[in-house]
Amino acid sequence: MTAVATFFWGWLLTALLLGFCMGWIAVVHRAQGVPKVWIGWLSLLAIALVAASFTRIVPGRFGYWLDLFLVMFALYLCGCAVGSWLRDWVVSRSKPAS
Amino acid sequence: MHGLFKWSSKWWPGVIPLVIFWGIAAWTSTATVEADLAARSNAALKDTVLDKRRISVDGRDVTFAANAFSEDGRLSAVASVEAVPGVRLVNDETRLVPEAKPYVWSAERDVGKVTLGGNAPLPSSKGKLMEAAKANLGGIEVADQMALSRGAPTRFDAAALLLLDQIGKLKDGKITLTDTKVSLAGMARELGGREAIVGALKNLPEGYSIAANDIQAPPYVFQAYKDPVALTLTLTGYVPDNNTHAALVAAAGRKFFSEKVVDNLKASVGAPSGFAAAVVPALGALSRLSTGTLVVSDREVKLSGDALYDAAAGQIRNGLGKDFPQGWQFKAEVTVKPPSAPVDASVCQQLFADLLVKGRIRFESGKADIVPDSAGLLDRLIEIAMRCPTTNIEVAGHTDSDGDEAANQALSEKRAQAVVDYLVRAGLPASRFTAVGFGSTQPLAGNDTEDGKAQNRRIEFVVK
Repeated sequence: MTAVATFFWGWLLTALLLGFCMGWIAVVHRAQGVPKVWIGWLSLLAIALVAASFTRIVPGRFGYWLDLFLVMFALYLCGCAVGSWLRDWVVSRSKPAS
Repeated sequence: MHGLFKWSSKWWPGVIPLVIFWGIAAWTSTATVEADLAARSNAALKDTVLDKRRISVDGRDVTFAANAFSEDGRLSAVASVEAVPGVRLVNDETRLVPEAKPYVWSAERDVGKVTLGGNAPLPSSKGKLMEAAKANLGGIEVADQMALSRGAPTRFDAAALLLLDQIGKLKDGKITLTDTKVSLAGMARELGGREAIVGALKNLPEGYSIAANDIQAPPYVFQAYKDPVALTLTLTGYVPDNNTHAALVAAAGRKFFSEKVVDNLKASVGAPSGFAAAVVPALGALSRLSTGTLVVSDREVKLSGDALYDAAAGQIRNGLGKDFPQGWQFKAEVTVKPPSAPVDASVCQQLFADLLVKGRIRFESGKADIVPDSAGLLDRLIEIAMRCPTTNIEVAGHTDSDGDEAANQALSEKRAQAVVDYLVRAGLPASRFTAVGFGSTQPLAGNDTEDGKAQNRRIEFVVK
């Protein structure tokens, strides 16, 4: 996958940045969170997709698209985590000053 | 950490644009990734020898179909494709090239075209054979009908290349290699082609052998034509070598004493065995004809023409075949020339004298045995004797002065008698001839030179 990443690295970077922005917003965002039950089911879905990817049971282009989605999604989550953590750090640093 | 979990529940809105980006990324990159993987898979197989290689890429999955020439080669080819970075799965549709048993390869030549057929072990062998065929055969069209198969005998390429060399020596025909057995059939392009092929096939690689050699050579033809008007003997066709050539021309010179020998012979290999032993007596028979043609084709001798009298025709028909080496055939189409008009005694004498100036009756040295070369001259003398049937003829023998006079006298008498006997055997009445010997008492020239002695050793016909 790393060998072919040269063809879509821009999209991977985009996913990372998108995640970073989403993570940055999520700290102060007042929107409704995903219910815990959903998170459980979504996690299961994610695990199933990762398992499908590793076992290579999805053939041809669908398999490639699944791998591509999982990589982009993983980078999105990384971006989210970094964005949220950084925003939290910035927010917590500015509080004592105010 | 708890905060991260709390915030993550609010990350979902970004998934919507992520899915859109994913869709665009999948749309734009798939074809490029597939093309790149196909190119790199092909590059990975660059040095692997395969037949009918086909690579198709679907996403990151490579479908690889090919015919391999060995199990090791097949496995290593699949491993090479699997090792290409980025390839997720290899759908292995490879198989081994079919095995041929028996392993047959052939080269067939007909007018203006050579077809290579049967099996070849590797594409490189095929290429090499095609290239060699085109180089050897000049501008002739070469058709490739060879299929790739496993199971070739060792040193196949060397054997096939050697056989391909031989196809150039054929006018038409087929050379087949079945496992290690070679079969040849067809017609050689030139005289000696068959022998050249047999010679070349001695260099076949070890283990290879000739199962059948049915190559035929064009007939080995020798012709002689005696023209009574132009007074020529024309020799055409082939002789085996320069020595035989010289011997045949010399024999023709002795036998055809009044004809000019026109020599158009060419030396060539491929002569049947016993060639000279058959052609020399056949030329002798031709010399006895008034006009005639001698055709020697391989081991068949055909003589046609007109003998000078009945007994000569019978002797030629029945006698010549007996002198031939074993395996030779003789076909005579000898007729008898219509008798010439009778002449009186003086004309007869003149005819004898003229003839004996042109040629001499020759004997074995020191003996009274007439040599076969004189048969033509004797037939002419007999024909003249038949034209003046009422005359009596004295046959006079003369010698040179070498040796004892009494012995020369006896030899001259014996030689004259031998000639008379010959004439009588030819059907002339014995009562017409008298044999006399003069020893060396009546020389024509001085006995001090070889030339003079040769002139003095003679037989004369005197019409009474």
